[in-house]
Amino acid sequence: MTLDTMIITMSAGMLEAMKIFGLTLIGSLPFGMVIALLKKSRFAIVRGIISAYISIIRGTPLMLQLLAWYFGPYYLFGLNIGNWRFPALIVGFIVNYSAYFAEIYRGGIESIPVGQYEAAEVLGYTPTQTFMRIILPQVIKRIMPSVTNEVITLVKDTSLAFSLAYAEVFSLAKQISASQASFTPFVIAGVFYFVANYLVEFIMNRIEKSMDYYK
Amino acid sequence: MILQMSNIRKQFDGLEVLKDISFGVDSGEVVSIIGPSGSGKSTLLRCATFLETIDGGEIRYMGEAAARTDASGHAVYVSHSELRRFRSYYGLVFQQFNLFPHFSILRNLTDAPMEVQHRSREEAMETAMDLLRKMGIEDKADAYPYQLSGGQQQRVAIARALALKPEILFFDEPTSALDPELTGEVLKVIRQLAEENMTMVVVTHEMSFARAVSNRVLFMDGGVIVEQGSPEDVFGNPQEERTRRFLSVFER
Ligand SMILES: Nc1ncnc2c1ncn2[C@@H]1O[C@H](COP(=O)(O)OP(=O)(O)OP(=O)(O)O)[C@@H](O)[C@H]1O
Ligand SMILES: [Mg+2]
Repeated sequence: MTLDTMIITMSAGMLEAMKIFGLTLIGSLPFGMVIALLKKSRFAIVRGIISAYISIIRGTPLMLQLLAWYFGPYYLFGLNIGNWRFPALIVGFIVNYSAYFAEIYRGGIESIPVGQYEAAEVLGYTPTQTFMRIILPQVIKRIMPSVTNEVITLVKDTSLAFSLAYAEVFSLAKQISASQASFTPFVIAGVFYFVANYLVEFIMNRIEKSMDYYK
Repeated sequence: MILQMSNIRKQFDGLEVLKDISFGVDSGEVVSIIGPSGSGKSTLLRCATFLETIDGGEIRYMGEAAARTDASGHAVYVSHSELRRFRSYYGLVFQQFNLFPHFSILRNLTDAPMEVQHRSREEAMETAMDLLRKMGIEDKADAYPYQLSGGQQQRVAIARALALKPEILFFDEPTSALDPELTGEVLKVIRQLAEENMTMVVVTHEMSFARAVSNRVLFMDGGVIVEQGSPEDVFGNPQEERTRRFLSVFER
């Protein structure tokens, strides 16, 4: 296999990795907020369920969670779902990352001084207006560094899809390396991940800068 | 009567902070509330502005009850949406300003009028610029709160409250968070509002200010109004021993 073919084959794998990355973010960024808000629910049962969910997700390896989502339906319920590999991956990633984002959001929300809520309340804002107009924009600014960290981790975590033998760049690197007796595929994969994260950092930096107009 | 609070009771985990307090504020009146730390002054303002819920008593704005005591002796409030309507009657200026840091000064003044009171952008802008001129900070319209001094921020906070055209304005120690050299500019603005007959209730430790500006002074201690009257009477000829003791600390 020439270097060119290797790079081309692995580019397709990188595209798969980016698909996992993109879908996970689209799902977990908003879902994490839902979780964060449910954690402040009036109902103790809801709070309990959310706490359990977050501690299970944080306390077990993502790889294990992915395997559970993939094999669980069959071994637990005898279900045979067609084409379940990719959906299982995405569900696993979203459920996992939502928990982490929820904790970041919660920290951000709690860091906003109570005076902001009180000022808004006295001015007559509804609770929804207060959250959307006053609290959330400040939360987003405060949590950007932690979100960036998490997003960079996600780029690298997409490689865990190899545990379900999904053909993203890392799985391909392993296969090609074995069949060609070459270490080059891993170097290529490393470069791919590095470049992707370089882009992520660049974009996140731009977003952070765009919020620098206030303190 | 703009505000009438009757037999207000409030406790925090068993600690009685307001014990059967009654007072009213007439249109155009400036009432100063003085008293030692922990006497319940902030709590009284927070009850008047619905930031705390009272345990018993009655709160009326413009003659209309927002909270009253039911037959079982518990205070009941009108619905949430009704309460929001009551909120348009008053404004509150906090010790810590509590401006919205992500909004420009102008936006701090226009956002609530537009979002809460559904005023037009033009009207909101015009009111805001008028207020900023009055506060002497029209050149700061496009700045952000962090770029302003404490005194300027507090003047913005006053303007933000006024932008909603309230009937009455409450101040909780508006100069306590400021460096001494900045208190004057804020007190001057409040004095100017008093001259324009704005109805105000000011909790303050600035005795000379209270004496000069208010029509009436309330002295609170231990959750009750110990003494009230004209500034001349309360400062010049206090009737109660506790008032005399409190004031003597400031005369030295
Ligand atoms: N949220 C609260 N929970 C429990 N206790 C409270 C709370 N708010 C106030 N208190 C208590 O109520 C009492 C009155 O407090 P308040 O803040 O009204 O006093 P104040 O007259 O404004 O004092 P200061 O001059 O120091 O501002 C104090 O003993 C205070 O500790
Ligand atoms: Mg106080």
